[in-house]
Parts: sequence; structure tokens; C-alpha cells
Amino acid sequence: MTTLVERIALRRAAEVRRGRPRSLKATVVVYVCVLLFAIWVLLPVWYLVVSSLITVAQLGIKPFPIIPSSITLDNYLSVLTGSNGGKGIGSTDLGSRLLPAIGNSFLVSAVLVVFNLVVAGAAAYAMSRYPFRGGRLFELSVIATRVVPAIAIIGPFFVAFRVLGILNTPLALIISYNVFTLPLAIMILKNYFDQLPRELEEAAKIDGASRLLTLWLIIVPIARPGLVAAGVLIFLEAWSEFFYSLVLTNQLTVTPLLAGFQSVQQFNWNALAAATVMSMIPPVVLVLFFQRHVVGALTAGIGK
Amino acid sequence: MAATADLTATLPRADRSFGFRLALPAILILVVLLAIPAILTVIYSMHNVPPSGVSFGAFVGFDNYTLIFSSPVFWRSVSTTAIFAAGFVVFSTLIGLMMALLLNQPFIGRGIARAMLIIPWATPWLVIGILWKWFADGSVGGLNAVLTQLHVIGEYHEFLSDPKLALPLTILATVWRQASFAGILLLAGLQTLPEELSEAAQLDGASVWDRFVHITLPWLRPMLITVIVLNVIYAFLQFDVVFAMTQGGPGDATQVLSILIYRQLFAATHVGVGSALAVVLGVVSLLGGLLVVKLLYRPDVPAT
Repeated sequence: MTTLVERIALRRAAEVRRGRPRSLKATVVVYVCVLLFAIWVLLPVWYLVVSSLITVAQLGIKPFPIIPSSITLDNYLSVLTGSNGGKGIGSTDLGSRLLPAIGNSFLVSAVLVVFNLVVAGAAAYAMSRYPFRGGRLFELSVIATRVVPAIAIIGPFFVAFRVLGILNTPLALIISYNVFTLPLAIMILKNYFDQLPRELEEAAKIDGASRLLTLWLIIVPIARPGLVAAGVLIFLEAWSEFFYSLVLTNQLTVTPLLAGFQSVQQFNWNALAAATVMSMIPPVVLVLFFQRHVVGALTAGIGK
Repeated sequence: MAATADLTATLPRADRSFGFRLALPAILILVVLLAIPAILTVIYSMHNVPPSGVSFGAFVGFDNYTLIFSSPVFWRSVSTTAIFAAGFVVFSTLIGLMMALLLNQPFIGRGIARAMLIIPWATPWLVIGILWKWFADGSVGGLNAVLTQLHVIGEYHEFLSDPKLALPLTILATVWRQASFAGILLLAGLQTLPEELSEAAQLDGASVWDRFVHITLPWLRPMLITVIVLNVIYAFLQFDVVFAMTQGGPGDATQVLSILIYRQLFAATHVGVGSALAVVLGVVSLLGGLLVVKLLYRPDVPAT
């Protein structure tokens, strides 16, 4: 604690030397606000993580042990292996279903990332460089898709997928998720392509390269940061999706599985917390890893 | 085709058709997956659809709509949705703005704090619902622990079973997530604010508040409008968190429109009425978004 105080004092001294000191009062206010901010963000997450690391007995303690006396990985073992050792998750089979559900979530999200980057990338590039008749209308329609409630189009999906016999398959989700991932990818990539300089393409054109070759050899490599950001956002949206998966499948992916587990009587919060932590890790880690790309693309693609 | 067209690449017509062909897959996908189901839902809404949904059933004109608008359940749900939306939009925007202002100040640990800002946004909505349901739980919840420790409440309380507190808590949970989203976008907006602008005002003797009102706020205006519009739409379409936390209960205390529609479609299988409700929800969220743009957008302010 003292070291932090020392560092704050040092920084203040540096500010004074630069001739732009923040008043002592302002400094205190800023750090108190930072503390409140940290509590606001971390308290619920901390509660979740602690819940997943303690035993049922510890969970019964009132007040909740915000700093637990001991921790265990049993909850993770029980949801990963399906063995509850007689003390775990009761009669539910969450343990044997969690890993397959996580696998399905990965499958659906990964396929959508690849597919949408190709389809949305092509459309966005066309909108940016080769404005076609109706392109503006298409762009407005893409923006307007945001207000379409999933619940307003799920009925026809359900009927069509039942007729096609693909209810409760990853394919049903890969098809239906396009409804929101594709417009998102188009908007982000369109804005990204708009910011890229056109000189390289013009040079390629003079050199006689075809338009498709130019797109593939020139644009795709320099657009990589935008493609990465769009890919991460598609993954995030697909991974987080709950409603379509709830209606069109029988808990095939991780979100409806967690929701279903929650409404089962014979279970405990510790095991659910462990499963919930595991379902949070992929999107959070991915976004933190690509933080800079993602925030930039989000701001450019949505903030306009 | 493409090869011969490339020889005359300077011709705008050839370029336009190239652009259209590039965008065609995306256009087709969105028409098939969004436009057709949306139209089908509108058609459903004017029929007495059998629960299977395979045929339209008898045409009933606007009977489903008449039924909805004369139903007190619908109007209670509208008022619940309105309260939810107002709380959600106001608090996520305000808290997001405060977090952005804070994280734009220099302080030790700012990088970590900015990474923390991303966590709630990267967390799936459903997980946020589960997390807050248990955080607010009456026997093992962290919220009770914190509030009793701080002596705000005397003993543990079943917050989500309390019709007065259930709705505010779902608002709190969704605001926790969405404030981060607003904060990320607004922080990006603040980072583009030229420092000279603020410094010049400071030299002119402008107070912190003056600078906020006359420099920061106008600068953020376009971004703020975007954030508010998106928040309004998110508010009307919110489903996952309410579903996970309360499923619309206790009673109908948190039965927002999306939950009401879900119940009509999948619990009561009133496909016709549910579809009509979904159409109403789509129109409401579209109008809500447009209204905000209309109210906040001033053409005299150049949108940067």
C-alpha cells in the first residue's frame, strides 16, 4: 500500500516539475473514483469467481465469504468430468454436457467468423470502392437490421428448420446467427476500407492487375487489423448469443445449457459458477488480447 | 465475364457491376434470412396461426392487433418496458460517461483500469443475467453480504422475489454491462479531443465545469447520440438478462415486451398474437431510435 502511495506522490512531484500539477484534492478525488470504479466492475465478477472456488459448506456461510479462507478446484473438476463425487451437482448431467456445449459454441463461432469475413468483406469492399446501384439503400438496410427483434423472425426460422430437419444442429445456428453477425461485420469492414488509402489499388490497376487479384493480394494483407477486429467481434456475438440457440436447439451451445442448468432444482450455485466462469473466459480473453484492434473497430464501425 | 470486364476497368458501369457481384452473396443472405422471415411474421400476425406454424390458418385481419391493444397485460408490459428502457438508457449512458471521463485522466494503473472497463462488455448477456441473479440471491448472494456488512440492511433479503425490487435489479444488471459499452465508445471520443482546446480554456480561466459543458460535451455530442440511440434499441430488445434473472416475475413485475412475446409464442403457442406483438416491438424500437435522433440531432452542429 505504501508503495502505491509513494508512486502517486512521485507522479505528483513529476507533474509539479512539469508545471502542471493537479491539486491534492483533485488527486484524491481521482483515486477515490478509481477505487469506486474498480469495485463496480470487479465486485460481481469477484463474487462469481469466489463462488466457483469454494465448497457448498463455505457457500452456506452468512455473510458470504468475500475473502474465502480456503479454495478448491472441485467445482471445476465436477463440471468438466461429470463426476460429482456425491457432493457436487446432484442429478443433473451438466458435467457431461458442458464440454460438448463449449465445443459447439466454438464450432459455430469459428465457422461464422470465417464465413462472414469472406462474405461481409467482399460486400464491404464493394460498398467502399465500387459503389453499385442500390448500394446506399443496402447500407441503410444493413443499419436498420439492428432494430429487428430476434423474436420477430424466429418463428419462420423454427418452422423452416423443422421442415429441413436441421433443428438442434450447429448448422441451424450457423445459418440463423448471420442475421446479426453479417450486418455487424459489413458495417465494421466498410468503415475500415473507407479509411484505407486508395493509391495502392490505383497502382495495381495501372500495372494491369485484375480487380479480384488486387483485392486478394493488396487489400486483404493491409486490411488485416480490420479483419482481425471484425473477426473478434463476430466471435464475441456468436459466442454470446442465447435466444436463437434456446429456441432452435436443445441446449446445444453453452448459453442455453447454463440457463437450463439454472432452472434445475437439484444443483448448487458453486458448480454453475464454475461453468459460468469457463463460458466467460474465451470472449473476455479474446477481447483483452485484441483490445486495441477491437476498440478501434467498434468505435469506427458503430460510432458513425 | 470478369476477365473481359477488367480490360475496361475504367468504365464506371463495369465497376458498378463488379461491385454488385461482390456484394451479391451478402445481399442474398440478408434478404433470405431477414427480409423474408420478417415479412412472414407480419403475415402470421394477421392470421389465426395453428400452434405448429406450418400453415397460416384463417386470415383474421387486424384482430390480433385489436386483441393486443385492448389487453391490460399488454399495457402493463408496455409500462414495464418503458420504465426498464428509461432506467437502462439514462444510467448506462451517465455511468458510461463518468467512467470515460475518469479513465481519460492520468493516474497510475490506468491501463489496467481500461482493460477492466472491457470485461462487462465482453461478458455474454446471459452470463450477466446468471451472475446478477445469484449475486442478488437471498441466501448465498454477495449483494446481501455486502449490504449487511455495511449495515444498509439488517438481514438477508430475497431481492428478486420482491415485486418492487426485481425490476430495478434487472436494470442494475443490464446497466452494469451497457455502461461499459458506453464508456468504451465515449472514452474513444474523449481521446480524440485536442488537448490545446482544453488548455486554452484553462488559461482563459474556465472552471472544470465550464470546460466540461462548453468543450467536452459538445465534442462528445455525436458519439453520445450514437450511444443513446443504440441504448434505446438495446433496451427494447433486451431478453437474455431478464429471462435469466426473473423470467418476467415475480408475477409480471419484470415482464418486458420481449418476455411477453416469448411466453405467447412458446409457452402459450399463440403464434398469431405473438407475431403481432413482435411486429409492435420492432416498430416501437425503430420509433424509439428515430425519436432520439430527432430530439438530439441538431443539424447546426457539425457531426465530426
